[in-house]
Amino acid sequence: MADGRSLAVQSVLYGNPADDIVRAGVALANSVKWARADGFVSEWVLHLGDCSPEPVFDDASIAPLREAVEAHAGVLEYTVFGANLGSAAGHNTLAAQSRSDLVLILNPDAQVSPDTVSVLAARVSGRIALAEARQVPLEHPKDFRKYDGDTSWASTACALTTREAFDAVAGFDSETFFLYCDDVDYSWRLRLAGYRVVYEPAAAVFHDKRLTLTGDWPASSAEIYYSAEAAILLAYKYSRPDLVRSIVAQYRAEGSEPVMRAVAEYESRRIGDRLPAQLDPEHKVGQFINGNYAVHRF
Amino acid sequence: MTETSGQQQSTFVGLLDIVAGRRKVDPELAARLTAVSQYLNQPDEADRPFLTVLLRTQGRRAEPFKDALLCLAAQTDEDFEVIVLEHDAIPEDARDVRRVLERLPERFAARVQLAEVNGGTRAKPLNVGVELARGRYIAVYDDDDLLFGNWVEEFKRTAGSGNRLLRAVVANQSVRPEMWPQDQDGFRTTSWPRPEYPDHFDLLQHLLVNFSPFMSWAFPRALFHTYGLRFDEELQVCEDWDVILRGSLLCGVDDVAALTSIYRRWEGGESSYTRHSSIDWRESEQRVIDRINESSITMPPGAMESMRRMVLYNTALDNYRFMFNGTSLRRPLNHLWDAARPGVKLAVKVRNRIRRLRRRRRDVQ
Repeated sequence: MADGRSLAVQSVLYGNPADDIVRAGVALANSVKWARADGFVSEWVLHLGDCSPEPVFDDASIAPLREAVEAHAGVLEYTVFGANLGSAAGHNTLAAQSRSDLVLILNPDAQVSPDTVSVLAARVSGRIALAEARQVPLEHPKDFRKYDGDTSWASTACALTTREAFDAVAGFDSETFFLYCDDVDYSWRLRLAGYRVVYEPAAAVFHDKRLTLTGDWPASSAEIYYSAEAAILLAYKYSRPDLVRSIVAQYRAEGSEPVMRAVAEYESRRIGDRLPAQLDPEHKVGQFINGNYAVHRF
Repeated sequence: MTETSGQQQSTFVGLLDIVAGRRKVDPELAARLTAVSQYLNQPDEADRPFLTVLLRTQGRRAEPFKDALLCLAAQTDEDFEVIVLEHDAIPEDARDVRRVLERLPERFAARVQLAEVNGGTRAKPLNVGVELARGRYIAVYDDDDLLFGNWVEEFKRTAGSGNRLLRAVVANQSVRPEMWPQDQDGFRTTSWPRPEYPDHFDLLQHLLVNFSPFMSWAFPRALFHTYGLRFDEELQVCEDWDVILRGSLLCGVDDVAALTSIYRRWEGGESSYTRHSSIDWRESEQRVIDRINESSITMPPGAMESMRRMVLYNTALDNYRFMFNGTSLRRPLNHLWDAARPGVKLAVKVRNRIRRLRRRRRDVQ
């Protein structure tokens, strides 16, 4: 398939080191270069939306990135939001800035492999609305169907979606999800709308995560808070009141500051009538398995 | 056995300094030993990258090979060069290797060179790489493993004068071959990375078996280009264990306190474990052991205590076995029991009587 579709790549920044963004941008430009040579991509644009308290880039520090993008016929757009919109609202804002056929959602410091854009673009067509790249060195453990790659949801650390599908479900739910589970929710709404969500292992992306000497992956307080908040809201949105009760009870029993803050936020939304409309009453797509949103391989 | 931390010189140089520093040593010998020590400690003034990475491939696994290069391209510290050692690749696979290399980003590609190697064992391409290497350190990275972003950074942080081996921590992860959606020969990861190897290097334990996959090591350039070691091309396998042992005995080891790479264990499919027979493995292990056994070795500081404990343990084990195999332990235990038996019987009787009395008192109430 070589239809040469237009591409917008979107990254939302928050206090990332400028050098990391430039390195990631250089890897991206190289991958798009090969996708253009392979006939998968025509014109392209890199949208960076900066949520940081102080802008990550000035004219001088962004110059090498602009040069790398323009060297391969791309356009760089850098928008300073002036506020922390969060991941979902940030991507919705950036998506509204272009009308490309394809949208690549990419973590700002994630480095794609030379083949990644080609492989993802080859995969996203027809009913396949969202294809996720395989993260390296720590691969996401969620299961995917052998050979066709169908999976419960796609992580937007690096995932390609079609504009048509993005518009069809009105993008990310930024009213409900700030930092986590916006991608789970987006995937599940696509699937409810009849689209397929796939894992594409041949598209690799380096996401710089580290493990401790004991193989653990320590989470920060903010990560715990936002994932706890998202867990309750996702269970509510996908019509699982039983789970909402058990998650809230579990968090109350645990009693740590981040999870209690998440419970308080949920209660505030409930009392203020700010909870999302409920979906999937027959539980066709929503999977809640041991705190995960898919069957995990490990 | 863990070496004392914070040492900056190789084991060999340490020995020279000890002898040269003795109060009554022949002054001429002391002067010559000091000169050798100074020669070995002199800083390398050449303009070199910190690290040369020898990336060995036969071109058979294109997808893991791409992962390996992606991990290198994404290192936070870029002070390294890569030598891709393409060993005995068939023309089709060699074309794939070149296609993958052609697509690398220019800035990274400028630090990557390709060397074709034909014939010989797994050690041959490594020796070709050692000759080409410009780095202060040399690391070996096979084409199906993974690195975290701080692999080079952590080696560099730990490197001292450049005379000792560096050893970081590795995790194991299981994968099995699987066809991918666009017909690539891919794989499926089936486990979380497990840090199963010790996080400190223990030389005596490593004499038994290799606990440290290749990419956990950075070997000082001096090991090859000053002390003259090379990978043993007679070995079918275990070429890593051989250089790790000979290198650590000569230079000593500094631990890198970070988990920086993932060793992929293939469930099914081809690996060095399936490509080589058990006879190859046994013979190679024996050759490694024989070669060290036939030579004089220098143990690093800390070895004395560890070896004493081991000898003590073995002696105790032998004694323990001996006592239980014969009657010498059973007999005194029997005498002890015979002596204690009347007392134990009396104690049981007293306990039972007290219980009966308590029961009666409860019944009366």
